[in-house]
Amino acid sequence: MTKTKITMMAVLACLASFALIATTSFAAGVGKDGTIVAKKGKATTIAELVAMYDSTGCIDCHEDIHDEWANSAHARSVYGTGRTAATMKTALENGVLSWAYSGATKPEDVEVDHLMGCAKCHLPQLADATDAVAKEFIADIYALMDAYRNDDEEKFDEMKDTLLSLNINCLVCHNRMAITHKWTDGYPQDGAVYGSYDGEHDDEAFPHAKVSPIMSESIFCGQCHGLGPNFELDNPTQCATAYGSYLWAYTAEGGTETCQECHMEKSGLGHDMQSYRSTVMSDAAVDFEVEAYGAKWRDGSLMSPKAIVKVKMTNRTGHAIPDG
Amino acid sequence: MPMPQKMGRGDEMGRGPYEKSGIINDTGLPPGKTVEEHFEIPFYTEDVYDEYDRVIDRKLMDNELEINVKLWYLPYGNKQSDPFIWQDYTQKVTVSE
Repeated sequence: MTKTKITMMAVLACLASFALIATTSFAAGVGKDGTIVAKKGKATTIAELVAMYDSTGCIDCHEDIHDEWANSAHARSVYGTGRTAATMKTALENGVLSWAYSGATKPEDVEVDHLMGCAKCHLPQLADATDAVAKEFIADIYALMDAYRNDDEEKFDEMKDTLLSLNINCLVCHNRMAITHKWTDGYPQDGAVYGSYDGEHDDEAFPHAKVSPIMSESIFCGQCHGLGPNFELDNPTQCATAYGSYLWAYTAEGGTETCQECHMEKSGLGHDMQSYRSTVMSDAAVDFEVEAYGAKWRDGSLMSPKAIVKVKMTNRTGHAIPDG
Repeated sequence: MPMPQKMGRGDEMGRGPYEKSGIINDTGLPPGKTVEEHFEIPFYTEDVYDEYDRVIDRKLMDNELEINVKLWYLPYGNKQSDPFIWQDYTQKVTVSE
């Protein structure tokens, strides 16, 4: 090989490297290397994932808000009433494992991508974990269901506690999900909690307070209480569609209130965000009027008495009922 | 209640979120709109027949009828799985004797 050829190959190699770096840099976005997962690395166990978004430090100063949140479904987004976890197992068995091209035929094959149809909203931080966590997660759901079937209370409680430790907590909303338009507003940074002001925050692990431009906007909730099929997934799912209904059937008709105004402020529930199971919400949601009276219908020579019942239902919310 | 379309195609309803990608029909309540329902409920009567098996009279058994109207939310589509009564209204209705 001549010296010229070696030099040219070296130049091409350098150009290729430069192109690769430039492409990677663009795809990553500026500041993506400062996010919690970038700083801590992907979690390899459920315990690591819980630790990565550990919000227990918030309780010291925000106990009331924590207690409100603890009563909400956000605090048990994976376990639910037990039914949510069970439904994830159904989704796995009747869905992922049954589909010809999913690449998974048994629970041990499951990877993070297979679970994001559920986890996108029930556990968005799962995207910050390795496939080992996906396998551990599924194994724990199976163990929970087996323990339930076998009346093994100790194992059931152990698995229930593990699943309850995975939830939509302070840092998931006030950090990870606090910015939707990351190329516009920057990536959520490790060490910062996002809310209504810029400044200092009295917490060693999170010493910075930063403004989330969407924290009081409906789009913030719309990240999970979504639009319809999640087309960004290789196999789209459709669960909550409340934000789609909000955009196209409420704001399009002149509605102006945000999710937070109704579910947090007017309800007085704060971070105990509730739906129909709360009488505060269900009573405010639907006007229900019934008018009933008797009449005798003439059926030829016979009288057929009947009750005439007229029902009027008016949905006072900013989305369809039911939806989520 | 939305009737979600299985895999966004055809006339079949999907089972769980993992199968749903469309809406075929929706009986839910749209925001800001009033939905009206009309029901006609017969009172208890007993028909009287003549010798030729023709109905010649319709006797009212009770001129009072209790009407109960419930607005149900059925998350799983039936009353066996986690049903929720959103509204419950009862009224006595009468007709002349």
